[in-house]
Amino acid sequence: MMYEYFENMVQGVTAKLAEEPGKINAKKRYVREIARLGKKLYAENEKIAWCGVTVPFDLLNAMGVTSCFVEFVGAMLSSNETAPLFMKEAEDSGYAPDSCAYHRSVTGAVLKGMMPDPDFIIGSSSPCTAGLAVMENMAKKFNRDFFILNIPQNNSRNSVKYLADQLKEMADFIGKHTKEPLSLEKLGTALEFHNECSRILKDIYDLAKQTPSPVDNKLLRDFGTVVTLFMGSSKGVEICRAFKDELTDRIKSDKIDPSKEQIRLMWIQNRIQYQFPIEKILEDLGAKIVVDELNDVTWEPMDPDNPFESIAKRIITIPYSLGTDKRIAHMQALATDYRIDGAINPCHWGCRQGTGVRGLTTAGLKQINVPVLNLEIDCVDSRNLAKGQIATRVEAFAEMLTQ
Amino acid sequence: MKKKIGFTCSYAPVPIIEAAGFSPFRVFPETDAADHSGHILHDNLCPHVKKVLDRALGGDLPELEGMVFINSCDSMRRLSDAWKVARPDERIIFLDLPSSTEKSAIAFLANEYERLFTELCRWNRVDVSHDKLKERIQRWNTLAKSLRDIEVCMGNKFYPGLSVRYQETVNLASVNGVDAALKTAGTIHPENMEAVKGRAPVFIFGNLLFDPEVFTLFEQWNMHVAGNDFCTGSRFCSHISCRGTDDLFYSVASSFMTRISCARTIDVADPGSIAENIVKHAKESRARGVIGFTLKFCDPYLARIPGIREALLRESLPFLLLEGDCTLGSIGQQQTRIEAFTEMLEV
Repeated sequence: MMYEYFENMVQGVTAKLAEEPGKINAKKRYVREIARLGKKLYAENEKIAWCGVTVPFDLLNAMGVTSCFVEFVGAMLSSNETAPLFMKEAEDSGYAPDSCAYHRSVTGAVLKGMMPDPDFIIGSSSPCTAGLAVMENMAKKFNRDFFILNIPQNNSRNSVKYLADQLKEMADFIGKHTKEPLSLEKLGTALEFHNECSRILKDIYDLAKQTPSPVDNKLLRDFGTVVTLFMGSSKGVEICRAFKDELTDRIKSDKIDPSKEQIRLMWIQNRIQYQFPIEKILEDLGAKIVVDELNDVTWEPMDPDNPFESIAKRIITIPYSLGTDKRIAHMQALATDYRIDGAINPCHWGCRQGTGVRGLTTAGLKQINVPVLNLEIDCVDSRNLAKGQIATRVEAFAEMLTQ
Repeated sequence: MKKKIGFTCSYAPVPIIEAAGFSPFRVFPETDAADHSGHILHDNLCPHVKKVLDRALGGDLPELEGMVFINSCDSMRRLSDAWKVARPDERIIFLDLPSSTEKSAIAFLANEYERLFTELCRWNRVDVSHDKLKERIQRWNTLAKSLRDIEVCMGNKFYPGLSVRYQETVNLASVNGVDAALKTAGTIHPENMEAVKGRAPVFIFGNLLFDPEVFTLFEQWNMHVAGNDFCTGSRFCSHISCRGTDDLFYSVASSFMTRISCARTIDVADPGSIAENIVKHAKESRARGVIGFTLKFCDPYLARIPGIREALLRESLPFLLLEGDCTLGSIGQQQTRIEAFTEMLEV
């Protein structure tokens, strides 16, 4: 069923792209690649790995493994409105509704036999303990070998070395399952792709900083998190180029409506995944999300001659992995660079690592005179959504910012 | 009087704190301080972390020379973040704790413990002394053995008051140090106590259950605590084996990582083994039933409880799960359920 779902998605998007051959259509190209990845995850004869968010997908790509972080599935189930069915399955089996709905959806999907049986599982201790716990449960359920990438929060030389050593062990672990050891040449190529993607991403984000910004409220939603799935491949470069071209084209062709940018906003952590028109509500209020917290290049270029240490340094500097003081400093820098008027923090129910420090992030942005709207919302579970209340709070926030 | 170092997690190594010349002080999540933690942390964080932060915000703490935080779970990470705001002038050491238990993880933790020791000695302006550390480990092991002996007696028979004395001793080690606890442990003689028959032995597990009064209530409610698995109980004071290595930090790290684990620590070679371990320990203590006391919003346990329930069911061991903040007030509300459970076990 899921294979057909993704297959239909690929066909549908391809048909739409064919109708507009002259257009850049970055988002559609991106969605098509996501659907193709989904298709591969549910295909037979693929080496599949379910992973944690911060696992290096460039390394997995270099080793011929089709891989994805499980939260992606939670988001996808939410976006197609099937997540409640799976969450109910998980809850009926004893998984508490207090837990993160990304993970509850995935757990339900596992219990219902809707998750492809992987060849192995790689969990990561960042971003969250809940995610790692779900990976452990999956390893048990599927009876698959399990590897954990322990990602220290302290960014020290010792931590980087420890993580780099684990990455080497991880490559050996993968090699045992694929029956092919890591080719340093292939990894080098993947890292070159990653570097190229990073360069283009920086260009994309620089374009997004302009006033008025060529982005719209939906274009780059969760982009920084999801694009990592492709960054070690030529597909990643194609996707990034398409987005850069799209933004450049918007600027050149004067397609940007300044009236839709009376307020410039930052979105903290992840977007709302189900069909709730928050982007439209904001647009109607003249508010534009010009930056998402996780849309940033926080790492130095990868060194193909020193691949494991490079990747380790990259993982350790992702905002997810940092202590909150550093995460706030990063948000403050983004707020300044993008000249934002306010920030929206969806306090995803069940998220201890991100939402947990709501008060600290609010205070941190207040220090630089950026007000924060903390929305009490579940980004994946729509069952308890108070639509009216959320809309009213967003409207009041926008009104306050325009005064 | 020795200066105190605060800590909140059982992976904080008390022998190392003591070897640096400090007295350990576990900040238990129990306070009359106002509930202000919600200003800093979200309400969906576990009550352990929030109450500890309330203590910090409300000044309900002794004078501390610093705090040791462990990267044991998201909530603990966030507590260390919040602490910097709540007590900005207080020194903090944040130790990374791997989630898995393979050799490289233990070696990394050993480095972290060594870093802790060096830093604490610097704070206290004392020389780094491995002899001192060895001596504190020996004292710790003496206490661990005493407590283990008491646990064995608790498992064999129901001695009224013994579980209360046991918990008081563990708490003493947590807030006053090993020597104080050893003195108390030396006064506990189960062989001189009179065992009572007719109670249903129960194995209890969870995050933390530290108030001795809770154990008095358990006795009043007809429960015989035959075995326990809490980070304020058997998981806290466990033996440190120094065999096979001269590296004391590795010994501490290895012993802490391979003992009965908190739900946050994973054996990658045997995913989900927490469930089987609980079954094993419940059986070893000859329990007729198992009660889990877990903290609300504790992700490591939330994710593992269904597996634990399933494993207990397979072994026909009745299971009662009680969720709350693990304080006396919270447990007090569960009287009817606990009494009904123990009555059912006696049938």
